[in-house]
Amino acid sequence: MTASRSLGQFYPVASPLHGLDARAKILATGMLAVGLFLVDSVAGFLLISAVVVLLVAASRVPPGTFLGFLRPVAFIVALTVLFQVLFSREGETLFDWGLLEVHEGGLAGGLFLALRILLLVSTAGLLTATTAPVALTDGIEDLLSPLKRLRFPAHELAMMTTIALRFIPTLHEEAQKITRAQAARGVDFSQGGPIRRARAMLPVLVPLTVGAFRRADELAEAMESRGYRGGEGRSRYRAPRFRARDAIALAAAALVVVGGVLV
Amino acid sequence: MRIELEDVRHVYAPGTPFEVEALRGVSLAVEADGVLGIVGGTGSGKSTLAQHLNLLLAPTSGRVLVDGADARMLKGGELRRRVGLVFQHPEAALFAPTVEEDVAFAPSRLGLGEEETRRRVRETLELLGASHLAGRAPHALSGGEKRRVAIAGVLAMAPEVLVLDEPTAGLDPATGEDLLGIVRALRDGGTSIVVISHDLDEVAEVADRVCILEGGEVRAAGTPEEVFYAHPEASLAPATVRTASILRDPYPEVGKPVRFEETLAALNGLLEGRG
Amino acid sequence: MSDRNDQGARHGGPPVVSCENLAYAYPGSERAALAGVSFELRAGEYVGVVGPNGGGKSTLLRLLNGLLRSDSGGVRVGGLDPATEPYLVRKRVGMLFQNPDNGLVAPFVEDDVAFGLENLGVEREEMRERVGAAIRAVGLEGYERREPHTLSGGEKQRVALAGLLALDPEVLLLDEPTSMLDAEGRAETLARLEELRGARTVLHVTHHLDELLSADRVLVLNAGELVADVPPERLVTDADLLEENRLALPTILRLAAGLGLSSAKPRTPEELAAAALRRVKQGVEAR
Repeated sequence: MTASRSLGQFYPVASPLHGLDARAKILATGMLAVGLFLVDSVAGFLLISAVVVLLVAASRVPPGTFLGFLRPVAFIVALTVLFQVLFSREGETLFDWGLLEVHEGGLAGGLFLALRILLLVSTAGLLTATTAPVALTDGIEDLLSPLKRLRFPAHELAMMTTIALRFIPTLHEEAQKITRAQAARGVDFSQGGPIRRARAMLPVLVPLTVGAFRRADELAEAMESRGYRGGEGRSRYRAPRFRARDAIALAAAALVVVGGVLV
Repeated sequence: MRIELEDVRHVYAPGTPFEVEALRGVSLAVEADGVLGIVGGTGSGKSTLAQHLNLLLAPTSGRVLVDGADARMLKGGELRRRVGLVFQHPEAALFAPTVEEDVAFAPSRLGLGEEETRRRVRETLELLGASHLAGRAPHALSGGEKRRVAIAGVLAMAPEVLVLDEPTAGLDPATGEDLLGIVRALRDGGTSIVVISHDLDEVAEVADRVCILEGGEVRAAGTPEEVFYAHPEASLAPATVRTASILRDPYPEVGKPVRFEETLAALNGLLEGRG
Repeated sequence: MSDRNDQGARHGGPPVVSCENLAYAYPGSERAALAGVSFELRAGEYVGVVGPNGGGKSTLLRLLNGLLRSDSGGVRVGGLDPATEPYLVRKRVGMLFQNPDNGLVAPFVEDDVAFGLENLGVEREEMRERVGAAIRAVGLEGYERREPHTLSGGEKQRVALAGLLALDPEVLLLDEPTSMLDAEGRAETLARLEELRGARTVLHVTHHLDELLSADRVLVLNAGELVADVPPERLVTDADLLEENRLALPTILRLAAGLGLSSAKPRTPEELAAAALRRVKQGVEAR
């Protein structure tokens, strides 16, 4: 029985961030994400990092939970940084061990990249942790709805996201159950190098995927039986309201991004 | 092989806000033969208990003993082979292209050689009445067939003890009956079996010994007769015992039947004798 | 062989559901899932459907709400053909599925209960009322913002039931709604169904025969054919019927049958013991 939070799962608490309109938050997150990739100076990074830390504090989501979001990415980040550090030839040479050269540019580039990724994941995590899943997908659908005129499947995308969010914890539990069952049949998930461990995942991934397809079939039947036939003519249970504070949040996000890039 | 749990406690996520004490000092023994029925509902700790029998989970405190010695002395993985654990809805873990290959999965990792592995697979499929399914794809089978294949997959390791967690869950009653028949046959063949179930009637039909688990603690343990007749209330005794124990008061000749057939015989005896 | 088709005309009026020679075979399958089934349901009838696995029970339900389209034969539900007008049929027909997990679409309970109403385009104010009423009706007040994976099987089925009730269907199709639940979940779900059934027409597919003791009729489907249409009492008394169709009585009813006490229709050990005591007293008095 696990009560752990899956990656970016909604954390139900009352906070200023939780109270904001989903559409404003999605746009603000988007802006911050763009800003993260345009920022290039130390001062700019410090500004955006400070803002993200402030937002995490304001969200009333425990820092421990937040670090939990970052753990899965830690490995990738470390790998990427290592590559940057070892293979970049920019700037002054700091160390030289024959074939291995570490340059100033590589170190700085690696650190910046790491920071970018971590901040990006944190920002996305903030969004999903402070926004109820249905509100989130309604928000996505609303923001994309102008594109419906161009035949863009905004409703379908939102519905897919709702279903995906709904089933993440369920599939997570299913994966754990299957893993235990295979462990009981002698699979050792902790031994061997990365290739061996990857192969050990096959007896988990295959039934999990097959099971997921079966779920999809059953879910489709249930949805159709309940009268679902796409987005046409559907009403909305939730009533989003765009208020002054949402506009302020958006403006603030824009300012931070512009400030970070210009500094 | 005798497995003993000595005052086993298990706490999930200790020190966090999600801390849960699933087992609160459980002591019980799994004998070398016969069927041990562990009765427990949701929240009783039965799945946690099951995973201690093959040390998939280790106790937070207390010991698991195998033939008198601490189980931690055994090489990693040995206990998992000697104690076959079949989880609830085990068919969710079927993954190979054919039944034969899936059942071969566990034994093939035991270093037995191809011929011996194939022999094991054949024999196990036969024991489970699933030989005719050998070349079929697992996902195309019926629920009952899949369940048998999944159990075969664990039994093919030739464990000394087979632990079945809710073996008939989700199966229609007739298919469930068939499966219990197989459990009895396996027991008669010498395998020690542990059946974990919330269904008292089911446990009554197959168990030689019974243990009632509630809230992470052992509420009662002993022979079915001892355990069920000590507490003939709704939540702790099967329908047969509850009926017979009401009739015992005025008519003690009813005795203490537990299984269906013996209860039917006892009650018929009462009606014919007195009625 | 005794008569197995005593269709009692207990309910009057035109049939709400009628099937005539309904046949269907799954694509790629050699054997027909349904091989010509005919019957009628009248308004307010509570009809059970039993039979061995693969007998066609689930297929039948799916033909009734348009999830499947028959190969031949006719179906009419509320005067409509589910194959050509499934959307309209589904406004009147609600289906409860076997797997409680895979019927829940939304990340929160109240959003899931609202799903069907959203599909119909119901106005927000009215939706809130109906969702609230449905959640109260199944006893899940306080669960509005719970996430599905934190619920027990019985609770999940109640959420699904609330979702159906919010649509107020005339006909309920129940596809083994309790077979994946533990004893507690079963009891919960059945109690709510009993309570909330009202005047609806119900078709209840199940393997647990004791769930059908208060049904008006029971249909027995075997290998795609309707082999019997009988009052529920026959399930308890006709041993051949049970055996030919792989039907199993729960322990108390089996004991009763073996003791010749079936007529008492005991549901609990207490009732069975009472019936046995009565028989003993009769025997004593007869001497």
